[in-house]
Amino acid sequence: MPHLFLALTPGPVPGTVITNTVMVGCVALLHVLFATYLIGSTSIVAVSEVVSMVNHDPRHERLARGIVHSWAYLFGTGAAIAIFFVIFVLVGMWGRFFVTFSQFTFWVWFFEALTFVGEIVLLYALYANWDRLGEYRMARLGMTILLNVDQWFQMFFIDVIASQMLTPVVQGKPDNTSYLLQFLNPTNLPLTIHRTFGNVAWAGAVIALTAGFRYLRATRREEAMALAPNTHVEPVRALGAMPDGELVRERNREAAYWDWAGQYAMLFTFVLTIFQIWVGYTYAKEIQLHSLDSWYQMMYGWISNIFLGQFAGLGLLFMAGVAYFWRRIKAAGQPRPARRLQLALIVLFLLWLFGLQPAWWAGSYPDIVAAHLAKPFWDGGVEDPLGFFFPWKVMVLIGEMLVTLFALGTFLRARQRTPMIMGQASRGSQRLLIALGVITCLMMLIMGIIRESSRSPYLVNYSIQINHQVILQKPAPNIPLTQRPIGP
Amino acid sequence: MSQRTVDPERSGAAPTEPEDEGDLIGLVPQQVVGPVRQGVAWLDDRAGFSHLLHRVLYEAVPRQGGWAYTLGSATLVLILIQFFSGIFLLLDYVPSVSQAYSSLDFLKTSDPFGAWMRGIHLWGSYTLMFIIGAHALRTFISASYKKPRELNWVTGVFLFFIVLGMAITGAMLPWDQASYWTTTVVTNIPHYIPGIGNGIRTLWRGGNFVGQATLTRSFALHIWVLPVILLGLIGAHIHLLWRHGEHGSWVNYRTRSADPGGEIAERLRNAAAPYPTRGSDPVYSVPSDTVDFFPTQLFKDTVVSAVLVIFIGVMGLISGAPLDGPANAATLTYVPTPEWFYLPLDQLLVFFPLGLVGFGVFVVVGIAATLVIALPFIDRSPERHPIRRPDVLIPALFLIGSVIYLAMLGVNRLYNL
Repeated sequence: MPHLFLALTPGPVPGTVITNTVMVGCVALLHVLFATYLIGSTSIVAVSEVVSMVNHDPRHERLARGIVHSWAYLFGTGAAIAIFFVIFVLVGMWGRFFVTFSQFTFWVWFFEALTFVGEIVLLYALYANWDRLGEYRMARLGMTILLNVDQWFQMFFIDVIASQMLTPVVQGKPDNTSYLLQFLNPTNLPLTIHRTFGNVAWAGAVIALTAGFRYLRATRREEAMALAPNTHVEPVRALGAMPDGELVRERNREAAYWDWAGQYAMLFTFVLTIFQIWVGYTYAKEIQLHSLDSWYQMMYGWISNIFLGQFAGLGLLFMAGVAYFWRRIKAAGQPRPARRLQLALIVLFLLWLFGLQPAWWAGSYPDIVAAHLAKPFWDGGVEDPLGFFFPWKVMVLIGEMLVTLFALGTFLRARQRTPMIMGQASRGSQRLLIALGVITCLMMLIMGIIRESSRSPYLVNYSIQINHQVILQKPAPNIPLTQRPIGP
Repeated sequence: MSQRTVDPERSGAAPTEPEDEGDLIGLVPQQVVGPVRQGVAWLDDRAGFSHLLHRVLYEAVPRQGGWAYTLGSATLVLILIQFFSGIFLLLDYVPSVSQAYSSLDFLKTSDPFGAWMRGIHLWGSYTLMFIIGAHALRTFISASYKKPRELNWVTGVFLFFIVLGMAITGAMLPWDQASYWTTTVVTNIPHYIPGIGNGIRTLWRGGNFVGQATLTRSFALHIWVLPVILLGLIGAHIHLLWRHGEHGSWVNYRTRSADPGGEIAERLRNAAAPYPTRGSDPVYSVPSDTVDFFPTQLFKDTVVSAVLVIFIGVMGLISGAPLDGPANAATLTYVPTPEWFYLPLDQLLVFFPLGLVGFGVFVVVGIAATLVIALPFIDRSPERHPIRRPDVLIPALFLIGSVIYLAMLGVNRLYNL
């Protein structure tokens, strides 16, 4: 029987671009959307549980319950995708990489698997017993927090793997198989913080999107009457023994709840995305310091255009958020803060336009250099100096942070000074919440593509090639600290 | 409301006799009454310290949340520890590039308590940095900086900056490898200021390079210039605290009756010194319930300070203070690492391209520092609860989160060097 193994080990790994790259990407991205929602939404449930215990606010109680119920469906689907991903994609198609890599990351995978056990036990226990545990709020909260901690570690262990694939060699310490060094990988910390914030922001966006839809549904009849006041609109039909008036009140209650839930959830997305600018920048900087090729790929290679798309998405997300603040405050009858928010929206739009311009009008910077066109367009080249990352796009990012912080402060202060009546939101504001959810989803997908493509032509930087999963024997480049570029 | 002793100076009544119960002299045990008591009475008659102590000890403070209000006194105790341990270190230390290292080596190896005292000085500075930060955070959360306590905040922030300055100048003194390269890096920072930067660097270094003049100047800053400013600021800070009283936090001003206006008016009528706070919003002018500083609050202050002093003593003994090899300007392999409280700043500079380091150090950090100092003049709303101050809470969370995150990244970076 040893002949079988001998026949399997050498030679290229079979497969096409579709199966080995596109399919892997699609399955991985889909899996990420489910997994990150589960982790992020648990944090929101924990916050809502605490608030409802302190304030006895039934809206938080209802929201937490709704999210917990969504877990059962999403975890089942997400877990199926994850199992498919591991068994079929990683072992079946990327077997050589996965087996080799998991040899020196064995314990990381082991603990990752262990956290799944914890997640399954806690998540389904909470789902099945949420109402019964209402008698024991502290126990329920404790279980929710425990689940959140478990999920956080789940993410952390995957981050160890991801950062190990991106920056596998620790400077001056060639023993990169050491577990301590894997945990303290230079890009692991920023990636972990980036994902911790990102998960909650994404979960908030999903909830805001759902709330926007539900609000629109709850106010559909009112809209029809407003749009065509002279036309006949079907009267509200009573449900069973419920009189017409009761149904209208019920609908108003629904509108009030979804208005509140959308606003509450979008605040998580908005606030944490402001922080993401700063955290994302530090992450990119660590990649620049420790894996220059990948950083170059992202900033100057073909992925730089996709990165520009992410930049545009960020601006759109902020604009959708500020536009929502503006519309919501306007509907609440507060003209002065609404005018400030309108101004903030205009400034954001101008910043977005400025940041949107590409630095060059071609596929990638190396292409331009090869074609001797790396000069400003007024000198006959294709470069636009105003589109460079330093200092212009950084200034745009700083500007976006300041404007969004201002807008957020304005909205919260106005909301604080004059309590907002829920259920009076304009339908346009809810469409903005839906847009916010869609933009966030696209950004999650784009970020995944950027991250996974940045290592090209490697699967594990400098160690395993994507093409046929060839394991390289040469040592990774060892750039002394003093020779590493500090700025672009 | 606590039972209060009327302040004779405020009431205009004749000062109480020192022998009265509850007074300082009343605390002297009966067994030693006699010459000692007469001596104390004489001193008190001439100096009037009994009245001063009376005023300090029997001042009203908010009853609720007293443990959270111990950080200010703990900061003072830690500064005093730094002064006393610093005086002991001065008995051996020689501020000379040729003898600084050997004098500390002698202190470490031959002086029976030298290593411990150095450890106490180092751990005292670490603890001070942490506690002063916690004190500032507590003050921010409780909005104790609001009118009329703006200057309390401003003097407190300057105190923090001076303590940071003392920490960095103190780190330059041992003249070991760490100290030498810290001096080189830190004294180089001013040159990023356009125009006058090179002049400031030369002034601090006493020339183009780090040497004896640099050590002498850093020594003078550490033991003389900065402590004088520090003492002045402490005096001002304490004076302002006595003048306006301890604010506490929003929990100390909640009204419980159905008639909040009447309850606040009642509080104002029965206020014990130093309340009602002059110039304050009437709602936040008198806490709902107060106690005398002595013994309730003083007990809590003493417990917290004692725990910190024991911690410093134990850590000074166990961990001590490191002393690298002697300074060697010719080395090419030594990588200087900043103290932990400078890690956020150090890490921030990593993120700026070389041409923009000056912008990072002076503009970004300068704007952040200015905003922190100007906080009471920016946040002028009457609200005290942090949730009702989102416009300052969110930027503050951003700032605090960034500092912690940068520190974590800094530790990670140093580990991966």
